[in-house]
Amino acid sequence: MSDPGRKTNLWLIATLVLAMSPQVLSMPISVLVLTLLPLFWRIGSEIRDWKPLPAWVRHGATAAALAALFFSYGDLSGRRAAVSLLTVMLSLKLIECYRIRDARLVICFSLFLCATQFLFAQGVLMPFYAAATVMLALVTLTKLQRAEAWAREGEPPPVKASLLAELSFSFRLLALAVPVGIAFFIFFPRLASPLWGIPDSTLDSKTGLSDSMSPGSIQTLFMDDSPAFRAEFSGTIPPAEQLYWRGPVFWRFDGRTWTSGFYGRNIDAAAVPMPMDQSWAYTIQLEPNEQNWLFALDYPASVPPDARLTMDFQLLRRRPVIQLIQYSIISNPDFTDMPELSGPFRLQALDLPDGSNPRTRALVDQWRRETPDDSGFVSRVLEHFNREPFHYSLDAPLLGAHPADEFLFDTRRGFCEHYASTFAVMMRMAGIPARIVTGYQGGWFSELGNYVLIRQSDAHAWTEVWLDESGWTRVDPTAAVSPLRVQQGSLGALGAPRHLLDYSWLRGLRNSADVVQQRWNDWVIEYGAGRQARLFAPLGLDHMSPVMLVSVLFLAIAVFSVIIFPIVLRIKGPGHKDPVQQAWRKFLKRLEKAGVTALPSDGAIELAEAAAHALPAHSDAIHRIAHLYTHSRYAPVPPPFADLKQAILDFRPAKNAS
Amino acid sequence: MTHSSTIASEQSGIGQRFDSWVLDRVRRRRGPTELPRTLEYRHIYVMPTRFGFWFGMLLALTVIGGLNFNNNMTLMLGFLLAAIAQLTTLLVYRNLAGIRIDAVRASPVFAEESACFKVLLKNPEERSRFAIQAESPDGGDVIDINPQASGQLSLNQMTVSRGWLQMAPFRIENRYPLGLFRAWSVVIPTARCLVYPKPAPHPPALPKTGRGDYGAASQGEGEHFHGLREFQPGDPLRRIAWRTSARHQKLYSRVMESPRDEACELNWYLMGSGNPEEKLSILTAWVLRAERRQIPYSLEMPGAALPADLGEDHRDACLEILALYKP
Repeated sequence: MSDPGRKTNLWLIATLVLAMSPQVLSMPISVLVLTLLPLFWRIGSEIRDWKPLPAWVRHGATAAALAALFFSYGDLSGRRAAVSLLTVMLSLKLIECYRIRDARLVICFSLFLCATQFLFAQGVLMPFYAAATVMLALVTLTKLQRAEAWAREGEPPPVKASLLAELSFSFRLLALAVPVGIAFFIFFPRLASPLWGIPDSTLDSKTGLSDSMSPGSIQTLFMDDSPAFRAEFSGTIPPAEQLYWRGPVFWRFDGRTWTSGFYGRNIDAAAVPMPMDQSWAYTIQLEPNEQNWLFALDYPASVPPDARLTMDFQLLRRRPVIQLIQYSIISNPDFTDMPELSGPFRLQALDLPDGSNPRTRALVDQWRRETPDDSGFVSRVLEHFNREPFHYSLDAPLLGAHPADEFLFDTRRGFCEHYASTFAVMMRMAGIPARIVTGYQGGWFSELGNYVLIRQSDAHAWTEVWLDESGWTRVDPTAAVSPLRVQQGSLGALGAPRHLLDYSWLRGLRNSADVVQQRWNDWVIEYGAGRQARLFAPLGLDHMSPVMLVSVLFLAIAVFSVIIFPIVLRIKGPGHKDPVQQAWRKFLKRLEKAGVTALPSDGAIELAEAAAHALPAHSDAIHRIAHLYTHSRYAPVPPPFADLKQAILDFRPAKNAS
Repeated sequence: MTHSSTIASEQSGIGQRFDSWVLDRVRRRRGPTELPRTLEYRHIYVMPTRFGFWFGMLLALTVIGGLNFNNNMTLMLGFLLAAIAQLTTLLVYRNLAGIRIDAVRASPVFAEESACFKVLLKNPEERSRFAIQAESPDGGDVIDINPQASGQLSLNQMTVSRGWLQMAPFRIENRYPLGLFRAWSVVIPTARCLVYPKPAPHPPALPKTGRGDYGAASQGEGEHFHGLREFQPGDPLRRIAWRTSARHQKLYSRVMESPRDEACELNWYLMGSGNPEEKLSILTAWVLRAERRQIPYSLEMPGAALPADLGEDHRDACLEILALYKP
């Protein structure tokens, strides 16, 4: 009796499919199959009238799904796993969803599923996904309501609305709700700190730079065009060759892989530069990467809250960045990092594994004898990179036991990490303290949004050497090989496209379109307690308390309701067509052409009398039509509609000449 | 009857108490509803349904999660759904407001049958009304009403004993479009339905008098052949004189007649001293039987008497006397 009906069930399935689509794309294959099977079965059962499955099949499917989830995710406490669980359960619910109550449950949790997807992605396209899901859900809920109202009649509710009318009704509902929704969004008081703990991971994997560097590790990032962060400068924008965004710093080298070492992560910066007139002030909008590094230009003079500055000027956040964050920084390039290098640091910055790279060591020893001066030696090595046929290239050959030797003398093709690593090794061999800095270099300046966009493909590695006169000094050996890399970015320097669809105009288009995402991030994603409190700062209200916010919210809702009300008055609901009424209107139109005008006060019978009087030739037809119409309307057993339709079609009075 | 259970569950607990509170309040403040009534804002109540309550809980959960994770898009979705829910309070109200309840009618029934009250509604405005429901303790009905059209909702009510049955208060309500909120108006009708006594299942034979003094011969029905006439639409098939018709190439019906001397006198005083209700039951069954057999019958009751006659009007008059008999 309370079966929602086939059409409603298909709407329900469509809603669920749309709601689960982003989640399904991230599922492991076994879970995916177990999610799709019940879905397909239910669609088939709606179309082919299959019988409901016996209980043991449903229980078996549930057990299999739980097992698959457990084996794929390990434990079910992670967010991805939990949302996958919700998805699978909703899909399984479909095979036993035959009542209105069950259908409503599925709709509610489909909407909830839609809300959980924002934990994983908050791009500008997500609102469209959400709006589409809500629209389908509204159509389904409306149909369910009608099914509920008619449940006791033993027959399905009269359906007169077209698909388009249903969708446009729910669209209008959605559109009308937007102003109040925005009022809620702006004025609903936010929490300054979370109520309960936030897990450390939400993304499917960590992205961006990692906490170690070996040949090829940055090269993989080079293929990734997703934005890493955006920087909006409040004053002048530094030239491209100054845009070294500092990330992880590496001290320890095992012959192949660079890692951070003890000091870098554990000792805080002793001296911090003062912000000066020529400093750069900017705000970074950092995309989530599940890492702790905050990126800044050398040398950060201020530390964002919730972060600390290490002795090698890495900005480390206490918690990984699991969702978009924004922070403001002032950097002062005019600063000497460590005028004095103490013993333990010097030892760490000179340490090399024994017996590796003999050919390089011989070369360094020879050059060192000829150039005892530290900065002279640095210049000589850079000159060597620049003059000899070294290439900046993606297809670097694999390196063996003595990477520096092979790179320096044999292959001579490599990416930034090859140059940085080899250069640092040579410095250490020569007794000059050196370390590796990774981060991003350059970026794309958006004229439209007035910010610099840094993509993962802008990842870079360079070195720092410690010199008596200038402390830690940045040296970028890649720049010696390929000056274009620093001036035009990695993609410009490479020349050849990375893949089939890699055109510069396409990249330009995508870069320009990023301004939408940047604004979206700025206005919507990053809106929080702080900005909310300062909402009315221009009006002289420096701090909005939650009570004030709620009052404004209620005021706004009241105002919107008063504005919305007249608009709502014109909503007619899905345009339910009444064929009898339509036929009658046609009849009235024909009468009008023949010169008989219906008064609004006339009933069908009075009208027929008047019309028959005016058109005596058609008197019989007119009376018959009026009779059929009134009986269609009021008789307990209405006559077939076809009769009325035919009678009206046959009614063709001559047009009135006047 | 899965549905009656859902209606009942909707009425349980707080919902039921609230509904009866509203009913009491309306009864005390306004008394019986005068028809026609146009439903206006002061007649209409809006409350969340059970589904609306759980939907709200899920929204609250979404919003709290969004606040905690500082996830603005989750919040935005939660707020948007809340705004939609808020909008449907308006829609659910508007779907009801402006409807005119014109009249409530009911045809007489026999005791222990269910009385069917017909609520006549008019939608005077240029917009459709969707899924307008009437709900009473014994059942409900639902219709869509087109712009400027009328509609009729049937409400059944069980009858127990003869006499006037006062129609129970009922609600005109709707949950359109999403089923999150219910708007309703309480109607305390003055309409009543005449309930005839329950006909005795096995009454004694008709008390035929054979005198036939008051009896008028009645043609058309009866057991004795009277003559032939041309077939008219409405004549029963069994009455067609097939042989004669075949001979004349035309249909003829037999006209029957009840004998003049057959009539019955239904007299309260001649029935001995039994249980009055049982006597009424038997009299009712006799009236029906006599009418069916087309035997003119008279009725004599304490304080009322009808001469022998036949026909629906006579039958109804007799039954009314029986229904309203006061010992």
